[in-house]
Amino acid sequence: MKGIRFRGCMVVLALGLALVLTPPAAAGETYKLGLSLAITGPTSDAGNPYSKGVEDYMRLVNDTGILGDAKVDCPIRDDMYETAVTKRNFEDFIDQGIVLFLSYATGGNLALAQDFDEVQIPVIPASFHKGIVDAAKYVFLPIASYSHQYVGLGEYVAKNHKGGDLPKVACFIHPSAFGRAPLEDFQAAIAAGLKMEIVEVVEHGKDLDNSALLQRLRSKGVQYVLCQTVQSPVVTLINDSQRLGLTAQSFGEEGKITFLGAHYTGGNDLIALAGSAAEGFYWTTSYRLTSEKGPWTAWQLDLAKKYGRDEKTANSHNYTNGIMAAQVAVEAIRRTREAGQEVTRAALYETLNQMNGDKAYQPLTTVGPVTYSATDRMGVDTLQLYVVKDGAFRAVGEPFKPEYLK
Amino acid sequence: MTYFLQLVVSGIVVGSIYALSALGFVLIYKSSRVLNIAHGQIIAGGAYIVFALTVWAGVPIFLSFLASMAITFFLAMSVERIFLRRLIGEPIISVIMVTIGLMSILDGIIYLTPFGSLNFSFPEFLPPTPISLGGVSISWTQLVGVVITAILIGAFSWFFKSATLGISMRAVSDDQFASMSVGISVPRVFGLAWAMAGLSAAGAGAIIGNITGLNFETLRAFGITVFPVVILGGLDSIIGAVVAGIIMGLIQQFAAGYLDGNWGLNGTADVLPYIILLVILLFKPHGLFGTHEIERV
Amino acid sequence: MSANRWFATGNFYTTYRQEQRIFTTHLDRVLFGLFLFFLFVWPLFVSASNKHMLVINNILIAVVAVYGLNLVTGFAGLISIGHAAFVGIGAYTLAGTARAIGDSHVLITHAWPLMILISGFMGAAFGAFVGLPAMRLKHLYLAIATLSFQMIFSWTINFMTFFNQGQMIAVGRVFWISGQVGRNEHYLFWYYVILVTAVVCGLGVRNLLRTRYGRCLVAVRDNDRAADAMGMHPGLTKVYAFALAGFFAGIAGALHTYMFRGAGFESFTLHHSIIYLAMAIVGGLGTLPGSLFGPVAIQILELQMEHISEWAGTFLPATMNLATALRPLGFGLVIVLFLMFEPRGIANWWRICRSYFKLWPFRY
Repeated sequence: MKGIRFRGCMVVLALGLALVLTPPAAAGETYKLGLSLAITGPTSDAGNPYSKGVEDYMRLVNDTGILGDAKVDCPIRDDMYETAVTKRNFEDFIDQGIVLFLSYATGGNLALAQDFDEVQIPVIPASFHKGIVDAAKYVFLPIASYSHQYVGLGEYVAKNHKGGDLPKVACFIHPSAFGRAPLEDFQAAIAAGLKMEIVEVVEHGKDLDNSALLQRLRSKGVQYVLCQTVQSPVVTLINDSQRLGLTAQSFGEEGKITFLGAHYTGGNDLIALAGSAAEGFYWTTSYRLTSEKGPWTAWQLDLAKKYGRDEKTANSHNYTNGIMAAQVAVEAIRRTREAGQEVTRAALYETLNQMNGDKAYQPLTTVGPVTYSATDRMGVDTLQLYVVKDGAFRAVGEPFKPEYLK
Repeated sequence: MTYFLQLVVSGIVVGSIYALSALGFVLIYKSSRVLNIAHGQIIAGGAYIVFALTVWAGVPIFLSFLASMAITFFLAMSVERIFLRRLIGEPIISVIMVTIGLMSILDGIIYLTPFGSLNFSFPEFLPPTPISLGGVSISWTQLVGVVITAILIGAFSWFFKSATLGISMRAVSDDQFASMSVGISVPRVFGLAWAMAGLSAAGAGAIIGNITGLNFETLRAFGITVFPVVILGGLDSIIGAVVAGIIMGLIQQFAAGYLDGNWGLNGTADVLPYIILLVILLFKPHGLFGTHEIERV
Repeated sequence: MSANRWFATGNFYTTYRQEQRIFTTHLDRVLFGLFLFFLFVWPLFVSASNKHMLVINNILIAVVAVYGLNLVTGFAGLISIGHAAFVGIGAYTLAGTARAIGDSHVLITHAWPLMILISGFMGAAFGAFVGLPAMRLKHLYLAIATLSFQMIFSWTINFMTFFNQGQMIAVGRVFWISGQVGRNEHYLFWYYVILVTAVVCGLGVRNLLRTRYGRCLVAVRDNDRAADAMGMHPGLTKVYAFALAGFFAGIAGALHTYMFRGAGFESFTLHHSIIYLAMAIVGGLGTLPGSLFGPVAIQILELQMEHISEWAGTFLPATMNLATALRPLGFGLVIVLFLMFEPRGIANWWRICRSYFKLWPFRY
């Protein structure tokens, strides 16, 4: 026992020493970025492919010389969806002198908003909550906000609803800031003339059975359920709906329910979880999907193959999501270098702000160009609607912009 | 009225899944007084083993269901043997802490597999059309879930009532020293309790996985969801777990069905069980069916 | 009492007063003084990075919170799985005030010591209220009552618009004699505030245990019926233990809010309650040094695991989740192995160490 105790003491000592001896930063022309996100813990099913997207694109940049002789160094930290850890990672990155911060969750971004503005560091979050932009002017949302996605879905419903009556919708949202984000704007859009009626706002719990909820919605005449949450709750909802025979076979079928959802409700994960119940689920995002063949499909799959990713990750929209955030960051660095400026936080902020008009950036991964300006904090303004057909998401119509939202 | 009946049916279905999840928890507590915080991870593990056997190894689902119960039986037994055997006789709180560490270890192991970061769903092996009785509907998956729960709980009840091993487990839970003196191997009983908990957790995991799809966060959350169930039922009572599970299922369904959306309330299904639990505990401090401890100075 | 108050060998007391001394020998006193002195002056010589200051502050805040948990779980023997909710009560007392009167109101920016104290009392009030079931409930049933409080707290914060539905509520920067505390000196400033609070609270706990009330707690833990027979009131003692725990938690919560410059509900979830419990147990339940060792050990372990998994990520194949999985795996393994070989926590090492010096030159 004595020996064990002694060894234990040594281990503690060694750990303590290692705390002091953190690895030194690399020298030379290397631009430091930092990504802090949930690779384990809540929402890690989205965070994991996201981190791989960022990692792979950064490696591609270094391997193929997208920045010429310069390199990017982007350490990726797991914050387990905890604000306190995000803050620690952020402070660590700032100590290391990063020029751009890639952040993740709504909560963490709101908690750090004051710091972003004080340190004056450009930030690209994985959360598309409009409130973050209002809280910190240094945040650049990669794509259209949750509000835009949600109102966009609403507009699609209003346009394509058959029959003369007002379409009745229910909002199925995550019980958090993330879920409630688009509600206010959605209600404002309705007040501004969007033709629909919100019958009920449902904040879901961890329900295993939604039969009663669905029957209640149906009895109130609800025909559309707009979801702003993560995949699993949507899965139980649409599974139960399919079982009860309430799922619409075609959009807006009379007497049935059509389900629609914003970015984090959909993707291949939804199909993986719900199977055939996902058929006819409408989903909107600004990203291209590998299931809709185009030049981006081969590009993304090649990238994934190059770095040995499995098929599920390669086709995940959150993998695309991560790649795109990294692309915007790297593009900002590239343009700043091209202009002959030193790559600093302020310069990157300026470059990002000028990314509009003929300077708009069009990555392969999105349906529209990335535009930022002093007043426009949203990258890709256009959205694409997708629907599940035969086990894959297919594009519906052309990319669009929500009209009822400034 | 149909709405009410549907709530009742759904509540019973959900409740029996809670009961099955809670069963493993009760088994461990019953014999060793340990609160197993890593229970949710064991449930998730069971679900993943069923999936891996069915989809990746191509074993028929009912066979893989049984096989996964057998595997978790031995896995849980070895967990007890490796980590917890040394701690017999140490303060219970240290053992509870070990299960917290165990939770982290199992998390790590699951993150090593594709299940940690990706979502999967079981292939459909039951008819997708629900059974409908006068407007009230129940899916085949749920029905099979309820039947399996009933079978497992029946088997365990019989085991504790009649089988010699079961009786010796009850003896250990009653008094460790006294049972040692009559020749019962306490460590073996603890190992068996963990093994059976693993077995029931695998059953629960497979059923939940079929209903919700395989998402790690969802599955592991069940470790916490069972807390109010086991406490309401009385920590060491199997029948208590069943009754309390169904009560909790009903409360949640009624909360979601009648409270949510009215008076600006939302998501009450997650909190109401705890409030009701507190009120019930005020009147019945040992839960509905828990053993009343007789304390002596 | 041995004549030499510098190097006393063994325990030799002739009065109860002697036994209750905080420092048995002058050496103890001097060493403790030196340690405190070191804690206060090291930032003058070494400038730690913001990250490390943040970690150190976090540890000290956890120390204050764990004092409370150790009182209720270690000394009074009542398992609490809702401690993070009490910390949250403190945090939201401050954040709620900030929301009601504006985040840069004088009360928040200038009268911050008062706000911290008020948060503590708010925590105490809720602690006492949640402790009420302790009059009837025991053991795990009581533990689950605290779990219920945790759940109800999370739901309430998440639901009420007043609390911004769990989103961040910002709190302004505070003022010190030298003016507003800016970003650069933020962590250092709060290091000293938190350190002073932690020391004062620690001395408070140490003194409490020398009083009638402290001994009451231990008596109730060991056998509440016997304590009853001796004329103590076990129910009230338990309620009062919860109130004390709530007080320390509330203070920790207010410090947390000031240091993180706001409160969001993510920092006060069940997960954190379990982590607090882990800290108390790993440190050593029912010991005062344990409240110090636990948070230090757990947070450094967490940080080290992060470093190791990052370092491992540089050479492990990126296709697998090895580096990701290493962190929880290593964290869990260290804790489990540690407890398998030392179920009484780090404080037990401390005790063995001390008794070795105390008995020297004898073996026992």
